[in-house]
Amino acid sequence: MTTRTLRRWFVVHKWTSLVCTLFLLIVCVTGLPLLFSEQIWDTFVGDDDPPYEVLPPDTPNANLDVIVEKARALYPGQIVTNVDPDDDEPAVLVSMAPSWQALKDDDKYPDRNSSHWIKFDARTTKMLEQSRPETELKPPGTWTGLIMGICRRLHVSLFAYLPGRLFLGLMGGVFVASLVSGTVLYGRFMKRLPFGSVRRDRAARLTWLDLHNLLGAATLVWATVVGFTGLVNELQTPLFGLWRVTDVRQILKPYANLPVPSQDHLSSVQAAFDTAARAAPGNEVTGLSFPGASFGSPVHYVLWTRGATPLRARLFTPVLVDARTGELTGAYPMPWYLRFLEISRPLHFGDYGGMPLRILWALLDVVVIGVLVSGLVLWAGKRKMATDARLRALGYDLDDADDAAVPVLTAEAVR
Amino acid sequence: MNAVSPEIPVPSRPVLESRPSVAVWPWPIALGALTAFGLLSALLGQHGIWLALSWAALSIPLIVTVACLLRAWRRTSSVKGGQS
Repeated sequence: MTTRTLRRWFVVHKWTSLVCTLFLLIVCVTGLPLLFSEQIWDTFVGDDDPPYEVLPPDTPNANLDVIVEKARALYPGQIVTNVDPDDDEPAVLVSMAPSWQALKDDDKYPDRNSSHWIKFDARTTKMLEQSRPETELKPPGTWTGLIMGICRRLHVSLFAYLPGRLFLGLMGGVFVASLVSGTVLYGRFMKRLPFGSVRRDRAARLTWLDLHNLLGAATLVWATVVGFTGLVNELQTPLFGLWRVTDVRQILKPYANLPVPSQDHLSSVQAAFDTAARAAPGNEVTGLSFPGASFGSPVHYVLWTRGATPLRARLFTPVLVDARTGELTGAYPMPWYLRFLEISRPLHFGDYGGMPLRILWALLDVVVIGVLVSGLVLWAGKRKMATDARLRALGYDLDDADDAAVPVLTAEAVR
Repeated sequence: MNAVSPEIPVPSRPVLESRPSVAVWPWPIALGALTAFGLLSALLGQHGIWLALSWAALSIPLIVTVACLLRAWRRTSSVKGGQS
């Protein structure tokens, strides 16, 4: 490699790193509490759900139609929007709203939320809990909720919604570029140095450089994977949008202009769940949205199913069941880019291998913070020298030592 | 400005140049492969032995890092202070 190409790599590494370091520090620090959010909630807030009735473990779940009827009886005149069995509790969440139009109008008022939910015991159909009515005062927020909320929003979007997500996605891409260029530089710097040596008997700068190299080399693959999957995650809104305007629009075209039928005359919800389970064998049905929902068709139940094995648990396959007749319209596996997105999620969250994996994730995250900080120290140190050189060029009388330092360190940078 | 002066690596350069070049990549590749194996074994295996292997594989890069740091710090403190 010529000095010239090396210098180019150095410039790439410097600028890509500088651009993304601040945001990466934010993401790395806020990511730590998010890794353990379940445990943090359990410890500081606790589960405020009413206890479930103790029933024999093989008690079958009740017919979902009974639960939907109960919800309707509680709010006559309202519409049911979603029916979602809980993943790991024997509960069914029924979401309702005054009308589809009211839900649509919510977009215009940031503080309005017309939808509300009712939680039922899936086995006894007893009502367990309801969402807080909107007229009621908000319960005082907990510190945990406040801090976790801030961390989550900073981590995902820097409080800037979709533009923030896309920006952080871009930073993820820049981070990957900085890792690649850093790897090239590593190959040059370490030519005469055994792996893992940290020279502490020489200049402080060399200690920082060795630290940067060691920590960077040890976490390179992890940082690349988490950085890249973070980028993919930030693209979920446009990717889902792409799917909606292509495949989904194509599938729903024949039905797009039909009126939404009254909910009094729809086919059975329980039968729709059963039909979907048969249409997507090996998958479990995780929820149903009623005809007229913003993501769906005016005349179909949309049922979300997902793989039953842990690896495929994030691969969702929507199933359409005609809500007028109860007949299956079809199951629609997601396109490759959304499958890729779903697979890349666990690799970003580190939530697929129990508590030890989360702890390792946290430790690796801390090491990456070390890489970022040591990189910043190296950059700041060099800047100081460059400033000194400029000052000297302007005729300021600096220490002799600096005269030697500048050329050597610039040479070191490209060596 | 004096803070800069101890940072000059000039005296070390001749020593560096005379050192034979070493193989750069075996360690980073090994640690990277272990990381990749650890990430995938938990994802594809999901339980039992695969989880344990994943934890083991992912901790090795961390252990190696800590070992290198300990070695560096112990070596210098023994040179400087002669405590050991």
